[in-house]
Amino acid sequence: MTILDIIHTTTVDERVNQAITKAKANQSQLNAMVNFIDPSEQIKQLNNVSKDAKLYGLPIVLKDLVNMKGTLTTGSSKILENYVSPYNATITNKLIQAGAIIIGKSSCDTFGMGGTNMTAATGPVYNPYDLSRMSGGSSGGSAVLVASGVVSMAIGSDTGDSVRKPASFNNIVGVKPTYGRISRYGIIPYASSLDHVGYFTRNVFDAALILEVLAGRDDKDMTSLNSPVPEYSKNLSADLKGKRFGVMSNVLNAIKNPVVLKQFNTLLDQLKAKGAIIVDIKLNEDLMHAMLPTYYIIANAEATANHSNLDGLRFGMQQDGKDVEDIMTHSRTVGFGKLIRKRFVIGSYALFIENQEFLFRKAQKVRRLIVEDITKALSLCDALIAPASNQGALKINDTKTDQLSSEYLIAENYMALANFSGYPSMTLPFAYDEENLPVGINLTCIREAEQMMFNLALGIESCTKLKDQIKEVQS
Amino acid sequence: MNYETVIGIEIHCELKTKSKMFSSSPVSYGQAPNTSTNEIDLGHPGTLPSLNKNAVKQALKACIALNLEIDTLIRFDRKNYYYSDLPKGFQISQQFYPIGQAGFVDIETELGKKRIRINRLHMEEDTAKQYHVEDETWIDFNRAGIPLVEIVSEADIRSATEAQRYVEKLRTLLVYLEVTDGKMEEGSLRCDINISLRPEGTLPYGVKTEIKNLNSIANIEKAVKAEILRQSALLDSGQVVQQATRRYDDKLETTVLMRQKEGTVDYKYFPEPNIPPIRISNEWISEIKQTLPELPDVRYQRYLDLGLNAYDSQQLILNKDLSDFFDTVAKQTPYTKILANWCLSEVLAQVDQSQLEHKVINPEQFALLINHIGKQTISSKQAKEILPFIIKGEQYDAIVSRMNILQVSDSETLNALVLEVLNENPQSIIDYHAGKDKALGFLMGQIMKKSKGQANPVLSNQLVLEELNKRKA
Amino acid sequence: MPYSPDYFKNLAKQIRFNLSDEEALDIANEFEVLLDQMRLLEKIDTDQVKEMVYPFEDETSFMREDEVDEVLSLDQVLLNAPNSRNGFFVTKKVVIS
Repeated sequence: MTILDIIHTTTVDERVNQAITKAKANQSQLNAMVNFIDPSEQIKQLNNVSKDAKLYGLPIVLKDLVNMKGTLTTGSSKILENYVSPYNATITNKLIQAGAIIIGKSSCDTFGMGGTNMTAATGPVYNPYDLSRMSGGSSGGSAVLVASGVVSMAIGSDTGDSVRKPASFNNIVGVKPTYGRISRYGIIPYASSLDHVGYFTRNVFDAALILEVLAGRDDKDMTSLNSPVPEYSKNLSADLKGKRFGVMSNVLNAIKNPVVLKQFNTLLDQLKAKGAIIVDIKLNEDLMHAMLPTYYIIANAEATANHSNLDGLRFGMQQDGKDVEDIMTHSRTVGFGKLIRKRFVIGSYALFIENQEFLFRKAQKVRRLIVEDITKALSLCDALIAPASNQGALKINDTKTDQLSSEYLIAENYMALANFSGYPSMTLPFAYDEENLPVGINLTCIREAEQMMFNLALGIESCTKLKDQIKEVQS
Repeated sequence: MNYETVIGIEIHCELKTKSKMFSSSPVSYGQAPNTSTNEIDLGHPGTLPSLNKNAVKQALKACIALNLEIDTLIRFDRKNYYYSDLPKGFQISQQFYPIGQAGFVDIETELGKKRIRINRLHMEEDTAKQYHVEDETWIDFNRAGIPLVEIVSEADIRSATEAQRYVEKLRTLLVYLEVTDGKMEEGSLRCDINISLRPEGTLPYGVKTEIKNLNSIANIEKAVKAEILRQSALLDSGQVVQQATRRYDDKLETTVLMRQKEGTVDYKYFPEPNIPPIRISNEWISEIKQTLPELPDVRYQRYLDLGLNAYDSQQLILNKDLSDFFDTVAKQTPYTKILANWCLSEVLAQVDQSQLEHKVINPEQFALLINHIGKQTISSKQAKEILPFIIKGEQYDAIVSRMNILQVSDSETLNALVLEVLNENPQSIIDYHAGKDKALGFLMGQIMKKSKGQANPVLSNQLVLEELNKRKA
Repeated sequence: MPYSPDYFKNLAKQIRFNLSDEEALDIANEFEVLLDQMRLLEKIDTDQVKEMVYPFEDETSFMREDEVDEVLSLDQVLLNAPNSRNGFFVTKKVVIS
């Protein structure tokens, strides 16, 4: 059932009330919502929207990094716990113009910094497939709300894999389009040169439709793309004849889970049966190992600077002090958790004038080499394909929090390739691990090749037959 | 010990654009606090910068006029530090690739023309304005985000006079370019002076201090002179100069310590990820070059060619609003010298700068006044009485008629007057013929007195001379 | 430990927050691991390689026209202000002017 089907077979009140009721019912178990938004004013405003609007009366959720005027936008942080947005993000305007009804803000790792959703100020978000496990992050709240059937679309953001990884853990579709395809204006940033706005749906058609609504040039975001936005959903084709899928041996060698590997090979056979060609891709192994530190340095350095505006003087939670410097320091000490503080220390260290050469600027140079490598790979195939993870979601107490570790973890971090390069990438359902937990498949295509990406995804979806899956949460 | 003064000057200049550097809220002055500001200026989470094309244009104009090499790829960087007037916790500036480099400006010194090299000109954004009220600080973000250019000279300046001339030259240029309104007293033009001394004939630089918060051109020379005295005294007595930021105290006529400088600050500069590099075209630069407003040097020459003297020309140039007024009126009168004179004396005495800026004086009516003075149909004294009413907005003819300032020019009346005066003063007639020139002046004075200043001076003079000659004894 | 806990406490102070003794010690201990990670970068030859600041490096030409748009109303500006008076944001005295 696509979004369009939902819109045509229910009334606005029906679907909005159902979403809110379900969100509230699931809240104690999933802990996915940070704040609920009263929809009555938005529903009234539907009078200004054409009944043919693509998301007419569709209830959705925004990751709590997305500004919506008059609502609390906390970034799942303590320091912004009382912050009321005085303005709309560009995508908020677009969603409203398309008729969407925003029923609330979803939980995430604070400021998008994390991969577990364990760091949200409101506590961890739980996986509907197994409530003793994490949702994954940073867009965990949005992911589980779509996976549990509360909403059929939720907005997230993806800086290293923060939409695509939780999508994988929750059996849904997660899209990170080309850098600049969707405006970042009004989205609380993590790392500006790696941040992408992304979203979750339960099938590929919806994914294509949503991008039509969200994409487009925004002069308020100077990095947004100028290219026109195609009608992705109208041009979909599941035909895989002659399409080349690049299998990255570096990633596949790092994936040790035999259950996942078996299903991956099955999928490849299915794709071949439909006429697709499998291409063996070997990326530079040293560069793959360098991905995590490259990401960590660039992301934390940019994040530190981006959050220098959080000083307690104009907005946000403020702590008292003997003078301004003191007020700023206390506010930020109390307002930022330990993990964030650590990231900022590292980020700041990497930007010191004496360190930039071997840290920040070095990471930026390695980034270029990584991007050149993946660009070369994408000249040999239409999409890079690999399981999104070695296994399903981890247990809550099993969590590998934000430790700096000496392990390479290519399998768990390779999706950052699409953030370094800005290339479009998406995850969709494909397998279950030995605990019967979902594991998604990831596709990455060349710049602005979203149509190709959706088409290939549709082809995969027709092989796996995994779509529109809802994991109900017993209340 | 004889010291050589070494000075480098940094000028920050607010640009005359409608909207701010990175947001479209208005550039405004004197508005109620925090009423000209938006979420971008306030550094709200999620906001992004959007570059103002006109700000770039103004910066380009300045680069052209200051002979700077222009980098056509516009790039910005973040200057990171924490301060209550800096909403984002960083300032978007141009550290690595300033829009202009390696330029110069020529100033006049006692020894002739001197070239002061300019190291760089770059664009950045202004900070909020803070007011210290007892134990509180009050912050107004109207100013936050206003476009700025920063112009950094090389340390080529060698005296207080040169420093003043440099700033004056730059300010005048930038005002003529319409890049800024250059009001130091309002803070739209700010200069920081870096000054150190070294023993004459030596090369290594001495320790420098920075003088900030100068609010007028006049104070520049005073401040530098005071600082030179202070530093010389220290060095002469074997002490060291402390690196510090100082301000000039008008009353004390010395520089006063603001804060010690604690080493260099690491601003962790890195390229601004939210603004991609922007290529500006050579065509655009040419277009700007061709449509530059008249520059002060050119206007100065034009005034000389008009017959004005060097001093008057210079004085006019230094006050663009006055100079613009002069140009407008000059189109309607041939008496340019009188006009210049009146602009520099009476006009300046009777109107303030703000009135000049807002063009309160009607140029047509003022031209009429000048023409009458030139034709001598009214006297200087009479003109001075008329001017205030023109400033108030009245028409020349109406004023003259209302005040009864009619010049008596008909020969019959004048003749009668002349005869009356001569008959009353026979001694003066004798004195005149005896070669005493003052006699004529005395007789003219009597005529003016009797006619209450209304007698046409030229005609009266003529008639008196005729009559005197008739009465040669 | 390449750096002492005090080094990190100082660093944190520069960026306006405090680290507890425990935290500073944790970070100091972990920093060896961080530097290990950096050594992975050192392995990569980046001679003659330029930094990549933006994912896409096409030269752009867009600049915003100099037109005034709506401002935030004073209410909205001060909506989140912890302290305000007479339209100003109010805070404690700034130590250095």
